[in-house]
Amino acid sequence: MYNSRWLALSHYWVAFAVFMLAVVLGFWQMLMRSPLPAPLDDPNLYYASVTLHGTAMAYVVTTFFAMGFGYAITATSLGRPIRGVTAAWICFAICLAGTLMAVAAILSGRASVLYTFYPPLLGSAWYYSGATLLIGGSMIWVVLMVVNMVAWKRDNPGQPVPLAMFAITATALLWAWAASGVELEMLGILLPRAFGLTVEMDAGLARTLFSVTLHAIVYFWLMPAYIAFYTLVPQVAGGRLYSDTMGRVTFIMFLLFSIPVGIHHLLADPEVGVGFKFLQSSLTFLVTLPTLLTVFSMCASLEIAGRHHGGTGLLRWIAVLPWNEPMILAVGLSLVMLGLGGGGGIINMSYGMNSLIHNTAWIPAHFHLIFGGAVVIMYFAIAYEMWPRMTGLRLRSKRMARWQLWLWFVGMMTMSIPWHITGLMGQPRRVAIFDFSDPLLAPMAPLAILSVVGGLILLLSAILFITILVRSQFGDVVVREPLRYALAVNPPVRVPSALNGFALWNVILLMFMIVEYGYPIGQFFVLKSSVPVVEMTRHEP
Amino acid sequence: MTVSKEGAIHPDLPWSRIGWVSFAAIVLFSALFGFVILSRYQENSDPLTVWGAICRGLGITADTAPALSPQPPLRTPTEVAWTGATLGQIQAGDAQHGGFVAMNCSACHEEPAANASHLIPILDGMDAAVIFKQLADYRSGKRSWGVMNGIAKALTVQDSADVAAYFASLPGGRLHADSGMRIPQGGRSFWQGSTGARLVFAGDQQRGIPPCAACHGPGGYKIGAPPLAGQYTAYIERQLAAFAQDIRQNDIYEQMRAIARQLTPEEMKAVAEFYGAPDHHLASSD
Repeated sequence: MYNSRWLALSHYWVAFAVFMLAVVLGFWQMLMRSPLPAPLDDPNLYYASVTLHGTAMAYVVTTFFAMGFGYAITATSLGRPIRGVTAAWICFAICLAGTLMAVAAILSGRASVLYTFYPPLLGSAWYYSGATLLIGGSMIWVVLMVVNMVAWKRDNPGQPVPLAMFAITATALLWAWAASGVELEMLGILLPRAFGLTVEMDAGLARTLFSVTLHAIVYFWLMPAYIAFYTLVPQVAGGRLYSDTMGRVTFIMFLLFSIPVGIHHLLADPEVGVGFKFLQSSLTFLVTLPTLLTVFSMCASLEIAGRHHGGTGLLRWIAVLPWNEPMILAVGLSLVMLGLGGGGGIINMSYGMNSLIHNTAWIPAHFHLIFGGAVVIMYFAIAYEMWPRMTGLRLRSKRMARWQLWLWFVGMMTMSIPWHITGLMGQPRRVAIFDFSDPLLAPMAPLAILSVVGGLILLLSAILFITILVRSQFGDVVVREPLRYALAVNPPVRVPSALNGFALWNVILLMFMIVEYGYPIGQFFVLKSSVPVVEMTRHEP
Repeated sequence: MTVSKEGAIHPDLPWSRIGWVSFAAIVLFSALFGFVILSRYQENSDPLTVWGAICRGLGITADTAPALSPQPPLRTPTEVAWTGATLGQIQAGDAQHGGFVAMNCSACHEEPAANASHLIPILDGMDAAVIFKQLADYRSGKRSWGVMNGIAKALTVQDSADVAAYFASLPGGRLHADSGMRIPQGGRSFWQGSTGARLVFAGDQQRGIPPCAACHGPGGYKIGAPPLAGQYTAYIERQLAAFAQDIRQNDIYEQMRAIARQLTPEEMKAVAEFYGAPDHHLASSD
């Protein structure tokens, strides 16, 4: 892994340490919302906890994981040391400092605005500064990914960039585009108000800017899982990738279609006209295409592997796949959760159906199934695959890893399915306490308790995950197996420049952004719709 | 399984043309549907004109124009609105000049002998926006109480911003003005045994009563809602009764009248005692 070993390992440890803390908070939050007694039952603490859980999972865990994964991929897929290691460590330090600032602000109880900030709520300037540092700092990583890919292309003219490197660069560019919305919101609206330079804030503008980030960030979280689908899974399964070109087209489509779609998160916001809501909903439907292509590629690649292992007939090839490998097990479980969660997502983005489930428990149930389920289970599998390469020590043990993955799957299903149902029954999200003695709420009580059981199973699975990593870290059996990427059935010999770089696609994306966001953002400079803030903190006199 | 020699997708397609044509097709299709077709046809009314449909799609509707016929005057509970101009005015209050104005207040608000019944509220450390709004309401007659209407009429708007800034700058004393700190604590939900603490921290959903603490603290504060922890018990109880009986009507949106009407006299007393108890300001009761 050349010089990426310690870099990747440090990033992973930050990600997983924060992950463990956030899982504990998540379990307590389920307990708070249930009819069962919860320790420290205070709604203010609940909102601080939701803020910390969301900030940790959405920004810290994912950003650190993607950065670590990116460094590991750069070194291994290009087969040479990373350029800019010093910059990478500076980036790590900035992101860590930002994380600590944000966490401290939330723990002080002065930033309970939830990770989506919800203007005109106003939290502590420390929180906004920390988040800005974390997200802004990660742009160094974006630059490093692009620099490494461009440098490799210059040194290897005419050669196709390895699919893994192509995909992680697409991820980095996607993140840069996505983060532009939240960074503009922070620097232009939230931070000036938090520092007292303005009296009011334009909540509509802030929310519209954040919508640029809000959906694309989900694809930023998903990308490491998809990269593993294309480049690691077929190899571990003992087969080949169905199509290299299809992989490239998929990642290009993610870059194009995941960003100009965020207004489907504002379907109930009055500032945005129905025309733009439809425009962006149409594009949201198109983002299902690369996912469907991926599911198709995955099934085809696994079938190639299964038939190679001697599976015959219509479905026999499924049974002979190496299910004892954590990576293969994780893919199977991940695809089940992706299917269910994806179906729910199509409901969320549809204007009419959205109004049935808008702001109900259905929404957190949906994104926990997609992100917490389908994606995080792949993060686990990637960690199990990478750990022996980074530490040079054997994973202890694959059997425990399989248990952990199964527990996570069962826990996530047990938690999120009842949660979907209470959402349909009308249970609002982001509410700390429910009076379940009310006849209207009483039927939700058993479902809420079932969700708590799911939360407990998830907590146990997370503890097991950390235990496996720590045990492996202190193992003594030295192994030396380099990370290998899947070969395609037809390995690319030459690739047209459009599929070997991102210049064309960045220009098309820019045009999409102008068409889709130009008016919705521009209108606020005419409307001047600023409102007073709702302070979630008070500065000491 | 057979895969052709070039792979599933031929790599040498004209990608640039495919990209731009798809872009144009997607934008044209969704713009036509979003701005013309879907915006045009309305349930229960005639289709809009194409121009009207496009404006609707952009978010510009006919009802954003000013109303045509004169509206009857509204019975407003207050003349203060929390606009940027109002907040700027309060923020610009001069505490030094406010201290001079406040000499008029101390005879009643500071002097224990004049306030034996505790019906006059503590102002030291009170939020500036609260004092500003109450003075404006006394001035316009939206709230009535003894000498306060006359005093408020004698003050200019700038005077009331100044005196508000002065009281806000004083150390809290009995009134825990800095209790905006959201200190995590247990016992703040429906599990709470004492009536006062339960209403303050959890409210009562079945009667539609939100928790007092969401606006009056500890923990949550909304513009214009006074912090109550440490305020006199008798004063709080009297104000709740006044809201319940429609004697006091200067709450924007009537939220205090709607809440107070639902409270029993025992509950009013319990809430007032919870806030009034000097050592109770942040802690739960169990």
